[in-house]
Amino acid sequence: MILQQLVNGLTLGSLYALIALGYTMVYGVLLMINFAHSEIFMTGAFVSLFVYSKLSSVVPPVQAFLLGVVAAFLVSAALAMVLERLAYRPLRRASRLTPLISAIGVSIFLQNAAFLFISDQSLAYPQLFAIHHFQLGGVEINSLQCLILAVALILMVGLHLFVNRTRLGTAIRATAQDASTASLMGIPVNGIIALTFFLGGALGGVAGALNGIYYGSIKYNMGFVPGIKAFTAAVLGGIGNIAGAMWGGLILGVLESLAAGLIPNGSEWKDVIAFSILILILLFRPEGLFGRHVPDKV
Amino acid sequence: MQKVKRSIVEELKSFLAFFLFGVGFLQFSLVLAGCGPHEKVARIAVALPLTGDIAGLGQGINRACALALEEANSQHRFNGYRVEIAAFDDRSDPREAVDVANRIVSDPSVVAVIGHFNSGCSIPASRVYAQAHLPMISPAASNPKLTLQQLDPSWTYPKSIFRVNTTDDVQGPYAAEFAVKTLHARRACIIDDKTTYGEGVATEFKKRFEALGGVTLSFDGVAVADKDFNALLTRLRELHPQVIYWGGDYAGGGLIVRQTRGVGEKAPILLSEANYDPEFLKVAGSAAEGCYVTFLGSPPELLPSAKAFMTAYQARYPDVEVKAYDHYGYEAMNILLDLVQKVGPDREKILAALPSVDYKGVLGETRFDAKGDTLNHTITLFQVKDGKFAPIK
Repeated sequence: MILQQLVNGLTLGSLYALIALGYTMVYGVLLMINFAHSEIFMTGAFVSLFVYSKLSSVVPPVQAFLLGVVAAFLVSAALAMVLERLAYRPLRRASRLTPLISAIGVSIFLQNAAFLFISDQSLAYPQLFAIHHFQLGGVEINSLQCLILAVALILMVGLHLFVNRTRLGTAIRATAQDASTASLMGIPVNGIIALTFFLGGALGGVAGALNGIYYGSIKYNMGFVPGIKAFTAAVLGGIGNIAGAMWGGLILGVLESLAAGLIPNGSEWKDVIAFSILILILLFRPEGLFGRHVPDKV
Repeated sequence: MQKVKRSIVEELKSFLAFFLFGVGFLQFSLVLAGCGPHEKVARIAVALPLTGDIAGLGQGINRACALALEEANSQHRFNGYRVEIAAFDDRSDPREAVDVANRIVSDPSVVAVIGHFNSGCSIPASRVYAQAHLPMISPAASNPKLTLQQLDPSWTYPKSIFRVNTTDDVQGPYAAEFAVKTLHARRACIIDDKTTYGEGVATEFKKRFEALGGVTLSFDGVAVADKDFNALLTRLRELHPQVIYWGGDYAGGGLIVRQTRGVGEKAPILLSEANYDPEFLKVAGSAAEGCYVTFLGSPPELLPSAKAFMTAYQARYPDVEVKAYDHYGYEAMNILLDLVQKVGPDREKILAALPSVDYKGVLGETRFDAKGDTLNHTITLFQVKDGKFAPIK
């Protein structure tokens, strides 16, 4: 049963990890928490539902869903870039608290826009294709969990390779390390920051679409709880650290599932247990599991 | 210097002109108001979730109340005063419900209140109404404590809380009897959404299930905001339940049913009445097939006495469907309008007349017991078949 709970936890955790990457990458380059990220996640869910429900009468449902995921990827990425340009870039030279307030404002704005113009009710996210169950050494896993794990894994490996193996990835890392020196080296810092938002937004959007198909309903305020959990995961892994966000998400998901799954009445206590462990870890490693202690920038 | 002086004088002038205009306008509007008949207004407050998760149900009841009032007005049943509806939104939030209740009691023209929807909102709000001697009829709250609190020796207010729907101490045991006697289940897993309503109905189920010789394998509460119950359901699966009971509304019920089948658990699932909604079927999808849902009383489409109501409702609101509790709102409104007509628009007089109400309407006959609950204890049981709720008793 522990293995079965691990599968549940990894599925949940990979969704947290995808969202957490958006928080951690933006923090890496701008030292700012993008509180509107949970609404980018929500937007991804709505966009994918729209595409999925429109196309499912034309193409097979699985393909329609995957096209919905692609649409969520693109629209959420574009939205994140627009937000950066309109709400954060003009405040780049302001004090560090100002863009934070701006991000909270954007979050409230997007949530209420969805509430007013799309729906104030939860929308059903139909499951139009059959779900198969597989037995793997006593562990049962269904095709939806496989799909989520596979998409998350592909995206995370892809991001890892992109950041570590390409020139653009090097530019992102250079900007994160020291933006002014990077610009002296000829790196277009504004463009790199926009690219970071693009990547973070895209992953958040895909997470929204996967969350929709997995749980079967979406709502204007659906981003709040996963957003908080993913932010926690990013801090757990060491905020600003990409590998840390992935591991942080997976660890948090597994902790929650084990707490709810192994302890009688644990579902009422799972957040208490998961967050207590988080507090303990941060007491002993304030920089997070994978974070490095960086002296203050001069 | 001269210039400054003039400008101050000008300012004074314009201030005076503005002031005079204001006074004149006020008098004018007073005269206008005086022209109309001096009609007294009696308001019936409707306090329901008009936004939020279950706004659809609240808005349906609100529409049904409006329909009842329009019908009464078209028959010119009130002499010397006008009856109006004042709608309030409690957003299914207990704190908001108490705020709303305080606003309602502070308006002296309000003579009665219909609400609230959730037990968790109704119970705290009911104390505010009772303090103000304001009669309250709930069209949906089903936790027994709502009316039971009035029989407590420490209750110093008049008996003011009534409801037209039956309660969870009828519904929960009904579901337990069905689980034991028809499904032949002896081992149950019980899950609720930790609300006053969900936990209440789940506890009533548990009591009767155990009294009938059943064993409760687990009793878990979940936070619906979480959405992921896979870990819990995987654990329950290891316990090999013969029936699973869910006490809570459809927001959680749909997810629970879907994920129960998702982890491969095939035991029959019984759900409380707040899952009798098309939204439940949409969220649960094909997993809903075969699930059992109890409903308080009968839904309007199955009540012969509600035919005229259904026709009138659809003629008045052609674009919306009749929701599951709309006839309760309609009946509550009609009972109040009937009393207002008989005893006059007065809180105390309505309070005095409510316990002896004997009203024949869309619900059949409504009379209240000593607690203030309806004596009509009908429960309807549904099973989901081909994506629809099919009555089986």
